[in-house]
Amino acid sequence: MKKIVLISFVIQLGSFLSAQNGYEQKYLLTTKTNTIGFSSLSLIDPYLSPLTYTGTGIQFEHESRRFLSITNTNISMQSKLDLEGGSLLNPAQTSAMYYLAVNYSWGMHYHFRPMKGLVVLAGGTWDAGLGYKDVPRNVNNPGNVDLATNLNLSGVAIYDIILRRLVLKLQLAVETPVIGWMYVPLAGASYYEMFMLGNTSDISHFSSIINKRGIHPKLTLDVPFKSSVWRIGVGYQRLQYKANNMIFDRNELSFMLGTTFDVIHFGGRSKKAPANFISTNE
Amino acid sequence: MNKQILIFLFTIILLPSCMNEPESQPNTHEGNFQALWNIVDTRYCYLDYKQINWDSIYTVYHKQLSSATTQVKFFDLLGSMLSELKDGHVNLYSDFDVSRYWKWFQDYPDNFSSDLIYTTRYLGKSYRMAGGMNYGTIDNGRIGYIYYGSFADAFSDGNIAYILTSFSSCRALIIDVRDNGGGSLEYSKKLASYFFTKSTVTGYIKHKTGDGHSDFSSPVEIVTPAHSTIQWQRPVAILTNRMSFSATNDFVNRMTKAPKAIIVGDKTGGGGGLPLSSELPNGWLVRFSSSPMFNTTMVNTEFGIDPTISVALTASDQANGYDTIIERAITALK
Repeated sequence: MKKIVLISFVIQLGSFLSAQNGYEQKYLLTTKTNTIGFSSLSLIDPYLSPLTYTGTGIQFEHESRRFLSITNTNISMQSKLDLEGGSLLNPAQTSAMYYLAVNYSWGMHYHFRPMKGLVVLAGGTWDAGLGYKDVPRNVNNPGNVDLATNLNLSGVAIYDIILRRLVLKLQLAVETPVIGWMYVPLAGASYYEMFMLGNTSDISHFSSIINKRGIHPKLTLDVPFKSSVWRIGVGYQRLQYKANNMIFDRNELSFMLGTTFDVIHFGGRSKKAPANFISTNE
Repeated sequence: MNKQILIFLFTIILLPSCMNEPESQPNTHEGNFQALWNIVDTRYCYLDYKQINWDSIYTVYHKQLSSATTQVKFFDLLGSMLSELKDGHVNLYSDFDVSRYWKWFQDYPDNFSSDLIYTTRYLGKSYRMAGGMNYGTIDNGRIGYIYYGSFADAFSDGNIAYILTSFSSCRALIIDVRDNGGGSLEYSKKLASYFFTKSTVTGYIKHKTGDGHSDFSSPVEIVTPAHSTIQWQRPVAILTNRMSFSATNDFVNRMTKAPKAIIVGDKTGGGGGLPLSSELPNGWLVRFSSSPMFNTTMVNTEFGIDPTISVALTASDQANGYDTIIERAITALK
C-alpha cells in the first residue's frame, strides 16, 4: 500500500513539475534608446535671410521599438521624439540665428532576416515637426516657423558583430520623406499680416519628392557593458524643400551618445505584472 | 533580397545629388551690389507706384562700383542707390553706419517744438506720465491733452482708463503725435480702438506674391476694432506733422475713420509700406518696404495723409509761446 501511495505521489509530482516547465509566459520587450547628440548645423531660410547660417546644435532623441504582438515577430512599431536646439551665425558673423525644434514620429517596419546576424527592417513612418528660427536683428520678419508633417520611407539594417563573448549591434537607419504637408510663408508677407490680419493665403503646401527631398541616415553601434548597453553614433541629415519661390535647406552632421535598454510593459487588467515582479504601484 | 537592399541603398546614396545647391552671391563688391539690387528688384513694393526705373539705376550705380575702393565708399554708393527709392523705411545697416533717406521730413517745416508744449500754457511742468504718454488738461481744464512720442512705448488698458478718467470733465481730447516716428502697428490699432464704437474697415494691405514689380496679393482688410470697455465718445483731435511716420501714419489713417476725430496740422510723413529685412553676403542688413498699405479708397498711404485742417506752426506764435496747431485744434473742438 505504501508503495502504491509513493508511486502515485511521484507520478503526480512529476506531472505537476512537467506542467510547470511547459508553461512559458511570454512578454513583449520594448527597446528604448535615449541619446544626446551634438551637431554641426547649417540652415538656409530665405524668409529670414538668403545667406547660409552655420553653427552648432544639441539634440535629445528618445526612440522606442517593439514587435506588434507576441505572436508576430515580423512587424515592429517604432516611435521617436526628437528635441533640438541650435545657435548659428551668418557668414560674416554679423547676425545670429537661434533654432528650436521638436519632432515626433511613429512607424512600422517589416523584419527580413536574410542571413544569420543580419536583420533588415523596411517600412514607413509618419512624422510631425514644429520648429522656430529666430533672427533677432531682422525687422518685422524676426522669426519663422517650421511646421510640417510627412509620410516617410524608412529602412534599418542591424548587423551583429560578434567579438568573442561580446555582441555589438551595428545599425544603419535611413529615412526619406515621400509626401506630406508643410507650412511656408510668402517671402513678402509679414507674420503681422498673416496672423493679425488673417491673410493666410499661400502658406499651406502639399509636399512630395518634387518639392521636398531629404535623406537622414544614422549609423550607430550598441556596445554592451556589464550592466548597460551604450550607443554611439553618427548621423547626417540633408533636407531641402521649395515653396513660394524660396528654397529652404538644412544640412546637419551629428554625433550621438546614449543608452539602450529593454523594458516590459505591465499595466491595466490584461497586462498585470506577475507576483514576483515588484512595482512601486503596489 | 540582397538585390533589393542594394537598390534601396543606391537610391538613398543618389538622393542628395538630386538636390539643388543653394545659390548665393559671393562676398565681393560686385556680389554685394548684385545681391542688394536683386533684393530691391524682387521684394521692394513701390517700384511701380513711384515710377522708379530700377534697371536704369543699376546702370548708373554699377558704373561707379570700380571707384568704390574702400568699405566706406562702397557703403556710401549702396546708400546713395537706395536713396533713389525716396523711402524712410529703406536703410542699409553696417557695423559703422546706417544709410537713410530723411528728406521726407527734412525738406518740410518742423511744425513742432517740444519746448512749447511743456510751457505753462500747455502741459507745464506737473504733467502726468503713463504708458509713454505725457498728459494733462489745457484750455483751463476744458481739453485733455496727450503727447505720445513713440508707438514703440507700450501702454495698457489700465493706463488709458486712468488717463481718460482724468479727462472726464473735459469736453474734448487732443492726441499729439507730432515727431512720433512710429513703432508697433499693434499699439497703433489699440490706441485707435478707444475712439471707435464699432469695428470698422480703416484700410487695406497687400503683399508681394512674386518677383515682378506688380506681383501683389489681393487687398486684405485692415480692421480697427472698437474697444469693448473703454471708448472716448467725445470729440478728439489728432495733431500731426511730417515726422508722424510709419505706425503713426497708420494710426492717423485709422483715425480718419473714427466717428468724432479730426486731424489737425501738417500732412504726415508717410511710411505706408510695412518693412521687412534681408541681408547681403557681407552681413550688412537691408530694410525695405515690403507690403503697401492703403486707405479705404485704395489710395497708397506711402506719401502721407492729409489733415482735416491744415495748419502750420508760425514763427510769431512760437515767439509768443503759442503752438499754432494746438490753438487751432482747441478752436476746432469748440
